[in-house]
Amino acid sequence: MAREVISTGNELSALGAFDAGCMFFGGYPITPSSEVMHEMSDLLPTVGGKFIQMEDEIAGISVALGASMAGTKSMTATSGPGISLKAEQIGLAFIAEVPLVIVNVMRGGPSTGLPTRVSQADIGQAQYPTHGDYASITLCAGSLEECYTQTVRGFNLAERYMTPVFVLLDETVGHMHGKAVLPDLEEVKAKNVTRKRFDGKPEDYRPYDVPMNTPAVLNPMFEGYRFHFTGLHHGPTGFPTEDAAQCQFNIERLVGKIDAVAADVGLDDEADYEEFMMEDAEVCLIAYGSISRGAKEAVSKLRADGIKAGLFRPIMIWPSPAKKLKEIGQKFDKIFVTELNMGQYLKEIERVTGRSNFTTLHKANGRPIAPLEMVAKVKEMF
Amino acid sequence: MFKTTNPGNVPVWVNTDNCKACDICVSVCPSGVLGMRYEPTSTLGAMISINHPESCIGCNECELTCPDFAIYVADKADYKFAKLTDEAKARQAAIIANKYMSLDQAGVK
Amino acid sequence: MAFNYDQYLRVDKMPTLWCWGCGDGVILKSVIRAIDKMGWDMDKVCVVSGIGCSGRFSSYINCNTVHTTHGRTIAYATGIKLTRPDAHVIVVAGDGDGLAIGGNHTIHGCRRNIDLNFILINNFIYGLTNSQISPTTPQGMWCVSAQNGNIDPTFDACKLAIGAGASFVARETMLDPKKLEKILVKGFSHRGFSFFDIMSNCHINLGRKNKMLSAMENLAWIDSITTPLKKWEALPVEEQMNKFPTGVLREVEQAEYCDMYEMVIASAQGKRGKITQDDFAKKI
Repeated sequence: MAREVISTGNELSALGAFDAGCMFFGGYPITPSSEVMHEMSDLLPTVGGKFIQMEDEIAGISVALGASMAGTKSMTATSGPGISLKAEQIGLAFIAEVPLVIVNVMRGGPSTGLPTRVSQADIGQAQYPTHGDYASITLCAGSLEECYTQTVRGFNLAERYMTPVFVLLDETVGHMHGKAVLPDLEEVKAKNVTRKRFDGKPEDYRPYDVPMNTPAVLNPMFEGYRFHFTGLHHGPTGFPTEDAAQCQFNIERLVGKIDAVAADVGLDDEADYEEFMMEDAEVCLIAYGSISRGAKEAVSKLRADGIKAGLFRPIMIWPSPAKKLKEIGQKFDKIFVTELNMGQYLKEIERVTGRSNFTTLHKANGRPIAPLEMVAKVKEMF
Repeated sequence: MFKTTNPGNVPVWVNTDNCKACDICVSVCPSGVLGMRYEPTSTLGAMISINHPESCIGCNECELTCPDFAIYVADKADYKFAKLTDEAKARQAAIIANKYMSLDQAGVK
Repeated sequence: MAFNYDQYLRVDKMPTLWCWGCGDGVILKSVIRAIDKMGWDMDKVCVVSGIGCSGRFSSYINCNTVHTTHGRTIAYATGIKLTRPDAHVIVVAGDGDGLAIGGNHTIHGCRRNIDLNFILINNFIYGLTNSQISPTTPQGMWCVSAQNGNIDPTFDACKLAIGAGASFVARETMLDPKKLEKILVKGFSHRGFSFFDIMSNCHINLGRKNKMLSAMENLAWIDSITTPLKKWEALPVEEQMNKFPTGVLREVEQAEYCDMYEMVIASAQGKRGKITQDDFAKKI
């Protein structure tokens, strides 16, 4: 049975983690994401889960990664400056293939920037949060419901693909307070993914000895399957190697297990994007996160004024819904892109569509974009 | 690989695959059992040699201070060790003065 | 038969990558012998190391091992221990790893008094990166990053750990592996944060710039700056500051973090009331 709740985006993200089977949270206070931590400190011990507030952002993710290495579904939440500090550990999670959900409630930057105001300027950071080569999975919530469902999805993707997954909220969505209709709890639990494990003889266990484009199979610690976690390039059993062919294979596999699978069959069967009034649209608006809510309003207003507008809203930001974006680029003459940054996702849209003639509205002043501003901008195209 | 089993009825034995010729075991032996010998195939040009097993008192110091799991001492239950003698002590002093080289090895490495 | 190290080592990784005469190998051996004394099942042991020469420690010991990033060992180990309080977690870090880049995690690990065994291999230098000054490099020593001599004051790792609240703090050198093994067993048996400051040699990178070209010369210097606690206490104050006392410097019973967390769980599940100041002897 669907559940009706009144809550905030941050709290719903925590509830999503809880329902996805998260049993560990490590974090450090930061505006505007702290409420995720507050809620987790309340929820986790009720089921014997572990919560710890650490001494800094770096420790916040390190402790969560330690827990995940031990075999637990684990999470941390932060905002842009926190991701900057966590960057090195995120790299370890990529190369050692440690699943982790990282919620980033976006605020204005760079640096301390605008701590209490909304932004979508961490889109680029989510794609490449740390040095080296890898592919990132990034989901972006645009509603209270999605704060819950995309966090659940984040856990399922992290455990399936053995990788850190970013769930992006922005300050507006995170602090939005209202009614949300959440999916049936039993249905959520039935779909929860538990990481794959090896059940053969311990002496045959080779966690990283997997084919191209497939994730490593990491058993929980302390169950007789001993192996080695390292941030160094490693061979089949996890031990450091500098073998050129092995290192090349490692990176191709890390990128391929996300990008190639996403391009080929999709990472899961959930929606990677939403299309709103797109069937008969003549002009396409592209927006994501909290800004897409204003864009929906703009679509209705434009339609009332006789302009057949539609909205395309990416949900899985990275890897981007490239096929669909390309299709839109070919189908629509008039495309309007709006984001709360100076055009970070626009670059991706330009790359996949191969065109650059978009009408855009970008802001980085910590304020949301009003539907009427979008309407005015769209009308300029006619 | 590892040679934890006594290769014959000896008080102390070496796994030369692991020895890096750091001299530590020679330096801690109280009774002049050990010494280095020239060994051109070793990185440092030397290798451990057991010159006076009959003087070994089974103190285990060489095994415990070896960083490379290269030298082993027999169990007290399996082997009857010698008592520390003045002659052995003097030999040890001479070996240290000879920069840890065995006394039959001319010069220093 | 000699002591059988094989079951505790990843024998295919031998010989170690450490330089000849490196104390890391001696400490590894002492840790193995201490684990053997404790009778721990290696499937229930986890060794976490960071970056530096000491980072290699985890790849040689045959248990669940984690080679983390520079300085973050204690944070990773806290996650592992909190998830599995039944496991035995040993953390290995160097003086740069544990006191410089990871200093913050070290003090907070001590403060929480979580049941980790933290082995600080203190060789007074950054060895792996070729001889830069560390927080324990004595003033006046020469290093590649202090070509005119080091002016940076040092700190005493054990005093730091005591000040931060570790409930077991000990210092030993690798000169006497028998003592080292004993002290490790003591600390491993202790419930709470066990901090070991183990002084070790780096004749390659500390020694080459400071006239200690062999392991023995470096060890003789370590011997000259350490003295057992009892003797140290009898020294006049002006001599005390030039010697590090060795032995167990602090051993107290103190509530352990995983145990305290059980109170949180019980409270959240309605099995007890909220935690209040009355639950603790120390109120501030």
